[in-house]
Amino acid sequence: MNYIGEHLWAAELGRGLTAFSFVFALLSTIAYYSKGEGWKTVGRLAFRVHAITLFGLIGTLFFIMANHYFEFDYVWKHTSLDLPPRYLFSAFWEGQEGSFLLWMFWNAILGWILTYTSKNFEGPVVGVFAAVQAFLVSMILGIWIGDYQLGYSPFNLVRELPENLGLPWTQFEDYLTRFPNFMDGSGLNPLLQNYWMTIHPPTLFLGFASTLIPFSYAIAGLLRKDYTSWISSALKWSVFSVGILGVGILMGGAWAYEALSFGGFWAWDPVENTSLVPWLTMAAGTHLLLIQRNKGGVMPSVLFLLIITFLLVLYSTFLTRSGILGDSSVHAFVDLGLSGQLLIYLLFFTLGSLGIFLARYRGLPKKEQEDRMDSREFWMFIGALVLLISGLQITLSTSYPVFNKLFGPEGLIHLYDENKVLNDPITHYNAIQVPFAIIITLLIGAGQFLSYRQTSTKLFFQRQITTLVSTTILTGLSAWALEMWNPMYITLMWTSYYAVIANLEFWIRWGKGRWNFAGASVAHVGFGLLIAGALVSNANKDIISQNRTFIHEDFPANENLLLSLGDTVEMGKYWATWSGQNEEGYYINYELEFFEEIDGKLEAAFNLSPRIQLNERMGNVAEPSTRHTLTKDIYTHVTYADLRTEEERGTDEWKNEFELELNIGDTHFLYGKYQLELDTLVVDAPKAGSDLQYAVLGAGLTITTLEDSVYKVMPVYAVQGNQAQHVDAEIKELGLKFSFDRINYDTNKPVIIASEHTEAEVPFILVKAEVFPWINLLWLGSILMAVGTGIAIAQRVKRERK
Amino acid sequence: MKNSQIAIIIAIAVLIGFTLVNLGNSATYSSFADASLKQGETTTVIGYLNLEEPMSFDPKTVTLTFAAKDKKGNASTVVYNQPKPQDFERSEEITMTGYATDSAFVATNILMKCPSKYNEQNEVDSDKIYK
Repeated sequence: MNYIGEHLWAAELGRGLTAFSFVFALLSTIAYYSKGEGWKTVGRLAFRVHAITLFGLIGTLFFIMANHYFEFDYVWKHTSLDLPPRYLFSAFWEGQEGSFLLWMFWNAILGWILTYTSKNFEGPVVGVFAAVQAFLVSMILGIWIGDYQLGYSPFNLVRELPENLGLPWTQFEDYLTRFPNFMDGSGLNPLLQNYWMTIHPPTLFLGFASTLIPFSYAIAGLLRKDYTSWISSALKWSVFSVGILGVGILMGGAWAYEALSFGGFWAWDPVENTSLVPWLTMAAGTHLLLIQRNKGGVMPSVLFLLIITFLLVLYSTFLTRSGILGDSSVHAFVDLGLSGQLLIYLLFFTLGSLGIFLARYRGLPKKEQEDRMDSREFWMFIGALVLLISGLQITLSTSYPVFNKLFGPEGLIHLYDENKVLNDPITHYNAIQVPFAIIITLLIGAGQFLSYRQTSTKLFFQRQITTLVSTTILTGLSAWALEMWNPMYITLMWTSYYAVIANLEFWIRWGKGRWNFAGASVAHVGFGLLIAGALVSNANKDIISQNRTFIHEDFPANENLLLSLGDTVEMGKYWATWSGQNEEGYYINYELEFFEEIDGKLEAAFNLSPRIQLNERMGNVAEPSTRHTLTKDIYTHVTYADLRTEEERGTDEWKNEFELELNIGDTHFLYGKYQLELDTLVVDAPKAGSDLQYAVLGAGLTITTLEDSVYKVMPVYAVQGNQAQHVDAEIKELGLKFSFDRINYDTNKPVIIASEHTEAEVPFILVKAEVFPWINLLWLGSILMAVGTGIAIAQRVKRERK
Repeated sequence: MKNSQIAIIIAIAVLIGFTLVNLGNSATYSSFADASLKQGETTTVIGYLNLEEPMSFDPKTVTLTFAAKDKKGNASTVVYNQPKPQDFERSEEITMTGYATDSAFVATNILMKCPSKYNEQNEVDSDKIYK
């Protein structure tokens, strides 16, 4: 059948380019690992053809997305007609297929650069790239081998999906115009429609891609048994990797803090953790490469760290894309059924690289003489080791879902009967990682006062008198100002200040403030500030929206405050008013006005507008609004709001029904606003002996408001035989209704039902507000780290040219 | 023995230590029945929202009270002292961390899984075909 309106040429072009790209990546791998100069030329050519076809296929996917060809599943799922063009990139890498393409894109670019710069290492280095690319392209091949689908193509047509095959609608050649479903796609998730989604994934994936370069050099070195000539190339790229991956991770944190209501910049979510771990090991590897270049003797550790960093990237890919995290992460990808393929990818490189490493281990150059305990290199080595353990601990704790799959109730090796889980991940990670951070920042500081080979103890302390004194004074002052006396936190504060000051001093005293010495110092200062900022803003976080309503001693203190429309409520040292709301596209903005008390008068301080995004796909999402000042941020988000439309709200005219049993003279405090009293009970019944059987009862009620207005009403209850009738009494001004429901024959008391008119309810929202002190230190630190690594790379490149 | 080897051995020991600590710290997913045997102890229960029973949210005290069933079919009233999550009614599965008391399971943290999250099926409404 010929379907009308389909763009089959695009499907064929896209799939064709995918297949070519795959084949040429394979060819390049084989050629690069064959002996001879001729083969190397073939390998290079094949790699470039692979890259060009890859770019072509990316271009094709962009084209069909930009033109909204909704017969394509990927286009339908990720774009819509009303998607602003600036979000096309975000839509492109929203799905697994597109984000694989983003990763491959960077690999192709970096691999291409290496075909020029890696010189005589080109064969084994770019060969590793080609092999990785072959695996990655296979993830989007979408070829059926019998019943098994190899990869999942972004060029799948909706009608070709297995679940749609043979459905009645596929029998219509004009299905694209016949069915409204194909008129518009479901679009990019509104949650991801912001500029962070445009800049965070490319940076992070460039970071992931860059970890492959030092890995490839390590593999190349092992294959050639050459453990010297590639060190400075690998070092340059590993600094680049630390910088870019760091920026990528921190951008994720900034996104979470600015636009998502996770309540901070880091939540120890598995997806965050598995991107942090390769950064930790890459930072360790970079420092060991430095020792190796300056003094030598740590080759086995260098190789191990460079290899494991890439393996941890692969492990991270496996965790976030195989669907295994399911229950434990809020932002893992959807399972596309690629877990088998991902596992093979992971195992191939793990077994391959560690296999070569172990096979060559005996022949690796070892230390000629032992490092002295007073040498810089010894403590750098210890620092690298601590980073590695810290990373492995995070990996271990993040891997519960994997352990459950392997050893759990339905596991391969049945070791325990019930799936294991971390109950309170944030406390767990903080408790273990804070001591690591203390050691690392201490070493970053102390390392600056140690010399390579050996340092005399006297000199070591003489050099740092000023640093030690100023660090201690500054810590004392900060702790006093912040009233932070937890010994663990004070220690971390001291060590992070120490790292900052020691590196500043090093740069000024020994580097004489020159830029070509600045790289490492600036990056270290940045790291110290980042840790200090993270510590202070988290440990001294102040939730100013405490709800003081007592519920039960067992219940945790409540951190949300109820704001009625127009009411002014105390919030920490501020007063806050919810003054209104407005709709803006997908958003409802809630306007909050903050006031400060100055000389007994309330003065307007600032306005915030946290919002709720109406999101049909993900559920509605609260987005925070933050007041930034130099020394602190005031972070607010709406945690509850009545989002029903007026129509939905108006179905019941009366609500909050409340049943009361009263004796004459009894009072009750109703709805927290009214004093209600049963004054009299009027009874009209036939005299004894009459044939008539009826009773009419009236309850005389007095309602007093808080303003002392008094209302009197009498709801009536009439019974004749077994039929009852009610005449309800209403107080229009207050929006109250009373019904004399019955007499409770067990207690002989009249039962009155009170209810409130729906409109009488004042709208309200619940707001959570937190103050993060000194969080700007964290951002300043992040920027300095990026700048420092940038300077370091520029310096290395410059030195190489000379 | 070399200093660096000693350091590596210490590192390995620390890592083994963490593994043991982790095993000790970790809890298992349990059921309401297990939880009520160990009142006050923090556990995690995976279950479903029972919409046949009443659910109430009191914004004044920020108390959400609802009925849930765990995977083994045990029912329990759950009290959650946080604002009601958006689209709570639509949740497919809820992961509740908290502890049991005499009258109810007190959840301190709730994670929910929604049917539509990320995963959108491109379903064509086949009722419209024969019209």
